[in-house]
Amino acid sequence: MLKDYAIFSLKNLRNRKLRSWLTMIGIFIGIAAVISLIGLGEGLRLAIMSQFGFLGPDVLGVQASGIAFAGPPGSMVATPLSDELAGKIEKINGVEAAFNRYIESSTLEFNNKQDIGIAGSAPEGENRKIFERMLNLRADEGRLLKDGDTKKAVVGNDFKKEDAFGKGIKIGDKILVNDIFFEVVGILEKKGSFIFDRIVMINEKSMIDVLGIDKKKVDVVAVKVKDQNRIVQVKEDIEKLMRRERNVEKGEEDFQVESPQQTLETLNSTLFAVTLFVYIIAGISIAVGGIGIMNTMYTSVLERTKEIGIMKSIGARNSAIFTIFFVESGLLGTVGGIIGIALGMSFAYGISFAGRYLLGSEIIQASVSPFLIIGALIFSFGLGTLFGVLPAYRASKLNPVDSLRSAK
Amino acid sequence: MNIYEIKYAFQNLRKRKLRSGLTILSILIGITAIFALLSFGIGIQRYVDTLADEAGRDKLFIQGKGIGAPGTDENFFLAKEDVDFVSKIKGVNEILGMYFKVVEVKFNDQKRFLFVSGTDTSKIGFMEESFSIKVIKGRKLKEVDSDKVALGYNFQFPDKVFRKTVRLGDKIELNGNRYEAVGFYEEVGNPQDDTNLYLTDKSFEALFPDSKDKFGFVILSSQKEVKPSELAERIEEKLRKFKNEEKGKETFFVQTFEDALATFTTIINVINGMLVLIALVSLVVAFVNIMNTMYTSIIERTKEIGVMKAIGAKNSDILIIFVVEAGLIGLIGGLLGVLLGYIISSIGGNIAAASGFALLKPAYPLFLIVGCLIFSFLVGAAAGYLPARRASKLKPVDALRYE
Repeated sequence: MLKDYAIFSLKNLRNRKLRSWLTMIGIFIGIAAVISLIGLGEGLRLAIMSQFGFLGPDVLGVQASGIAFAGPPGSMVATPLSDELAGKIEKINGVEAAFNRYIESSTLEFNNKQDIGIAGSAPEGENRKIFERMLNLRADEGRLLKDGDTKKAVVGNDFKKEDAFGKGIKIGDKILVNDIFFEVVGILEKKGSFIFDRIVMINEKSMIDVLGIDKKKVDVVAVKVKDQNRIVQVKEDIEKLMRRERNVEKGEEDFQVESPQQTLETLNSTLFAVTLFVYIIAGISIAVGGIGIMNTMYTSVLERTKEIGIMKSIGARNSAIFTIFFVESGLLGTVGGIIGIALGMSFAYGISFAGRYLLGSEIIQASVSPFLIIGALIFSFGLGTLFGVLPAYRASKLNPVDSLRSAK
Repeated sequence: MNIYEIKYAFQNLRKRKLRSGLTILSILIGITAIFALLSFGIGIQRYVDTLADEAGRDKLFIQGKGIGAPGTDENFFLAKEDVDFVSKIKGVNEILGMYFKVVEVKFNDQKRFLFVSGTDTSKIGFMEESFSIKVIKGRKLKEVDSDKVALGYNFQFPDKVFRKTVRLGDKIELNGNRYEAVGFYEEVGNPQDDTNLYLTDKSFEALFPDSKDKFGFVILSSQKEVKPSELAERIEEKLRKFKNEEKGKETFFVQTFEDALATFTTIINVINGMLVLIALVSLVVAFVNIMNTMYTSIIERTKEIGVMKAIGAKNSDILIIFVVEAGLIGLIGGLLGVLLGYIISSIGGNIAAASGFALLKPAYPLFLIVGCLIFSFLVGAAAGYLPARRASKLKPVDALRYE
């Protein structure tokens, strides 16, 4: 039965080729815009998420409070953490390891070109293994740092490329960090993170002895928890200890204990607000397209008044007339949607392709999930039927006698 | 084109109320979005222009390169001797090194982390001129004010910085030391600057002894006959030699205020431009809708066209009739769109101001309104051109025969 309706609708749409096409163009432009924007936005979100995503669920970071919207951790705080805290946190029940990390902006020089970058410390002794596991560090070339490596550095994967210093860094090269020579012994595997792919990692001892970083001002205390199911309890214990150490009341903390998951959630909600705004503006085109469907359907009902009269007089029920027009507008929406999805996807992937090859940027990615495709299809069908309801209802309510007479 | 043609077009639109209404609605939505977005873009542009005028186009600043918020990277700063050296460079009029740091602020048992600056009291006037801010309540800081603080605009209101309003004479704790509030600055228009705290350079040094003589931010003005951009180059070159750094490896940069503001406007314009582009997509859809409506209208009126031609209407008359009709659809949509856009951006501007972003103030210059109207008319007329041409090419005999 529904098949008959569909065939009938298709015939009608074909009879009015130009108008059907124009209506569908309206829909598919809107759908294409939304698909490509959501695809690119989702890609961007994933790219940003991957900056932090590789940290496990059993890791906590302790930082002093400050203004956290810009800059590396620990750079914009009121009262820095002292270097004795890590030892005390380590004694808390449930903590496997806790160690200080120093993260400093510094000048980097190689191939006679200079840039401002970030030098991060690597802990020594027993904590090194835990640290490497925590960040999932592996050497792409050369090796990772080991104890006793003074004036040696491991650099992020981006430094292999030419664009950083006009020449890629290789194992054995010397780079200047704050005007002091360091030998590169390893290059990290690519992390997809603009922090870790552009970091210069130096042993904690070299950081303090050679670069002269203030040992007493710790930027982050990284904590590894033994059992990730007990992370909430451990977090509370650390907070209790920190309050005692820093002499602050509950509710007046001047520090934060955060898991990477929490950071991700905060980031996610900010990104969501921004993308939502873009979607709303793109959604406007779809609304306009929907109005086009409604317009076309009203016109179609008007044109076929006589036809409707005939159908009714030979026994068509109101519901049958409604279904005919309803299916017709749903078809308009769906076909428009299919074309729109195809166009939108090729646009989104085209842009990300261009971004990668022309700009060398991996932030511009497209990610169109099957969920999004199915969603868009259902949405465009829904859009067609929604805007078709009123015209179809009007058609179904036509009085057969009047409509037979109304014909010109 | 004459008055009868316009009248005729109006009549036709009125006769097909529903269809015309829907078509107008489709163009209205796009124009609304574009008008609202552009009014914000122009508003920000104007804000930046007044800022540049008030701060003066003779100002420059020097800043450590660093990472993070300007002036707060402790590894890259300008030392006092750097500032003394620059002050002697030919063409430099006034110069001021400023301290910036994040501080824990406590008031009425509530804590926040905010930016605090330290300024040489003999140069507070210069600082105020450069940031184009004035004290609107209380007074400026004086040299002897070792335990006084001046506050940004937002402190005067409850629930903006602290739950409780800060009043003149109230005591505020910065990193545990108590200061008395002596003055409030006027509104800058963004939540960060309006929550700044201002100390004298002496009390800043007492609060952060490690930061003494390490300036995050240096402001200077050029002498009248010197071009700021040329002065910037000269300072960069001389300071580089003074700090013993090689070209291309400086740890600082010199920029004129004008350039810095231009960079800011460019970024805003690019973002806004992209949003307008996305909104333009909806106008393309509206364009197609108008075309569709016009094609339908022509089919319906084929007989009418035949009659008109039979009694002497020229092809060009028919063309004009339909183009004007389509243009009218666009124009009415544009008119309503501008109105609706005005309402939306006014509400948006108020919301932004209430949440601390007073700089997001929409502007409605005449050219924007007229431009939107002309544009919407043109979109309509262009969409109507193809259908109108088809109508004008109809053969009178065939058209009359059409049923």
